[in-house]
Amino acid sequence: MTQALARLQTGVPGLDAVLGGGLVIGASYILQGHPGAGKTIFANQIAFKTAEKGSKALYVTLLAETHERLFQALGTLEFFDISRLGIDVTYVSVFQTLRDEGLSAVVKLIRQEIARQGATLLVFDGLLNARDRADTQLDVKTFVAEVQSQAAFVGCTVLFLTSSRIAEESPEHTMVDGVIDLHNELSGVRAVRRLQVKKSRGTAALGGHHQFEITSDGVAVFPRVEALLAHTSVPDHAPTGSVSSGTGGFDALVGGGLPEGSVSLVFGPSGSGKTSLGINFLSLATQEQPALHFGFYETPARLRGKAAALGVDFEGLIKNGALEMIWNPMTENLLDKLGHRLLDAVRERGVKRLLIDGLGGFERGAVYQPRMVEFFAALTNELRALNVTTITTWELRDLFGPTVTAPGSEISSLLDNLVMLRHVEIGSRYKRTVSVLKVRDRAFEPIIHEIGFGPGGMEVRAALELVAGAATGLAQGPA
Amino acid sequence: MPLIVIAEDEFLLADVLSIMLEDAGYEVASASHGKAALTLVKQKLPALVITDFMMPLMTGLELAQAMRADATLSSIPIVLVSGAQGSIGRAHPEVFDAVLDKPYREKTLIATVAGLIGNR
Repeated sequence: MTQALARLQTGVPGLDAVLGGGLVIGASYILQGHPGAGKTIFANQIAFKTAEKGSKALYVTLLAETHERLFQALGTLEFFDISRLGIDVTYVSVFQTLRDEGLSAVVKLIRQEIARQGATLLVFDGLLNARDRADTQLDVKTFVAEVQSQAAFVGCTVLFLTSSRIAEESPEHTMVDGVIDLHNELSGVRAVRRLQVKKSRGTAALGGHHQFEITSDGVAVFPRVEALLAHTSVPDHAPTGSVSSGTGGFDALVGGGLPEGSVSLVFGPSGSGKTSLGINFLSLATQEQPALHFGFYETPARLRGKAAALGVDFEGLIKNGALEMIWNPMTENLLDKLGHRLLDAVRERGVKRLLIDGLGGFERGAVYQPRMVEFFAALTNELRALNVTTITTWELRDLFGPTVTAPGSEISSLLDNLVMLRHVEIGSRYKRTVSVLKVRDRAFEPIIHEIGFGPGGMEVRAALELVAGAATGLAQGPA
Repeated sequence: MPLIVIAEDEFLLADVLSIMLEDAGYEVASASHGKAALTLVKQKLPALVITDFMMPLMTGLELAQAMRADATLSSIPIVLVSGAQGSIGRAHPEVFDAVLDKPYREKTLIATVAGLIGNR
């Protein structure tokens, strides 16, 4: 029988998931990274969150920087609570003890301090300084071993903070239970913060890089969606129901409404009706079957205006809780932050009707493009398992032309239903058309139809007259 | 030259404090935690003690309380210098003669010290 290890929840959003449940109580970790990588904020956030839960944290430094300056910097962060200082989060400097009496005196002092404070978390900031001071590598190895074994005896978890100049084969790495590596690197012109659990003894951590950010709320980690949701959080099922699209005549095209819990891609060039189709879809939101608009392009204010012009009262739906709109400006986004924001919003309100406008917003947020297939696979699997009926949009680059660039073919295959919207020029007139290319496990109407706007907003009208080449937008007369 | 004992775990602050006091004409002895400071105070019977609050092994408050409980030390003036725990110090006027919040001005510190030593 396997035994689960007792955990200390870090209070850093996302970090516990990466660590497989939190820090192991009584274990010791190296938290390493270059200056500015975020080590101090990580460690302090964990210390204050530990204190909030009624435990005590001891923060031992070997740094030249005064604690006062540290507190000034931490004072700008939400988790920092000056009233806890010296009560349940205590900072002591052992620099003079090290200078005057050496490492073994520091070990002794730490042992006495842990007992005196009743600390369940020890942060030791400045392992590198200890190395500088040690006469041989053996000294630091002994130091780490002694500190961690003394802490383990009283169930105290240890974080050793250090700049990342400690080699992986060094004795410190060998001895501790876990190594967490923090990185701040450039990707193109933007800076990206990343975390990697390099070692995690006796527990499965989510490997690879995970993005994190530091804001006034402190640190938040965004586990890679495809790693965290390698398997869906709830078992998938096979729903058989249908969900109305809200666009007159459209449900008949897709065989009687969109399959419940399916993911559809609506693609077409700018102005072809993607947003109108989306507004219709969201107009059927109810308190029992709530909807979410997760968009990148238009602000909620503009969308409310657009919906009102089409006779749809988004304002009212938002007020009674049937609809939520989350706008993610297309600036510097983090792919996994977007993914988690979407899934959190879906879970929080039990969303059943989701519009993502559009997939391109996620692609732009990716620092490493090749993972988009895995990302979308995990995201769409989770949405299906949560029984969310989803419409996503994709903007075609060319208004007209023979090349129809849907998102990569691998991504298209992850989607259940494909719908194309186009402008077609026939006899010097533009006609808006809709065609259904795929509906998973269901017969559908393979004929291109015209779309128009009536009193109820956008609607599907008659089948398009017989022309060839309509799919490219360049009709060539009667077929 | 009156002797002042400093109890401060952060070496930068201890160093700066020592230099300021020496420049002002005092003799200085410092300890890096409360326990060492108490030993030093018993040995040297200084004219005044300046202590930090958060220190290993013994806080500034515990140091001051130990001194007040000891008949030979109880009349030595004690100044608490602290950032976050100034309010704790002010809540114990029976043990601290003065409380200075970090960061403090050199002038304020020297004036406080001179006032307390001159009073005795």
